[in-house]
Amino acid sequence: MAEDITGAASINDGVGLKEQDRLLPIANVGRIMKQIVPPNAKISKEAKETMQECVSEFISFVTSEASQKCRKERRKTVNGDDICWALATLGLDDYEVPLKRYLHKFREVEGERAANQMRANGGDSSKEKEDEQYPFKFSFIGSTSNDSNFRPFD
Amino acid sequence: MRQAGSYSGILISGKTGPHLLPLARIKKIMKKSGDGVKMISGESPIVFSKACEMFIKELTQRSWMVTMQGKRRTLNKEDVASAVMATDLFDFLLNLVSEMDTSKSS
Repeated sequence: MAEDITGAASINDGVGLKEQDRLLPIANVGRIMKQIVPPNAKISKEAKETMQECVSEFISFVTSEASQKCRKERRKTVNGDDICWALATLGLDDYEVPLKRYLHKFREVEGERAANQMRANGGDSSKEKEDEQYPFKFSFIGSTSNDSNFRPFD
Repeated sequence: MRQAGSYSGILISGKTGPHLLPLARIKKIMKKSGDGVKMISGESPIVFSKACEMFIKELTQRSWMVTMQGKRRTLNKEDVASAVMATDLFDFLLNLVSEMDTSKSS
């Protein structure tokens, strides 16, 4: 059965976004779901659609919480730390620690990359381009591991 | 008890690309969260892309357990709804799954 990738005719949910803008692409969502189930398992299209809706709700829910925190602290910009904080506040503290580490490494890598780009301006452009597309070449370690396994550039 | 197994130790390799989910779309959804979400740092969608991946994996894992209990091999949307209802943490999704259920009802 062919999949309707773009989704059915839009359901106006009152927020003002077309369905394809309101949801993450079903192909991407489906791919992540497939990583969890056994290879011979099937996932119904409706299940993927339900998951799409759940993820968008998840994003809205967490962002709302993060943005309220920013407003209270009179900050205009929601940043990664706010997201991590919101996740913990909403009970998703299992996510908070791995994500904080992810964010920390991202900032480190980004900082290094920016510094390297400045230093190596006009240097090896192909590597630079690769780094730009894939800034993360490291293993993401869960909260129980120690950093001795950390290899920033695999 | 919540299981952390599905998302600890996620490997991000340069070969497959860092993000499984489109950052621009995530940003759009964030902006429409209401309550005057004005500005979003560049790193926020990136954190979310990982958080969403973890979320999808967890919900899928729980849904699949329901599928298996029913001795089926196809994960359907009722399994997802069941997983949501069985998990306190996903209470924020209860309205969503019950809404979808009523719209489907014949």
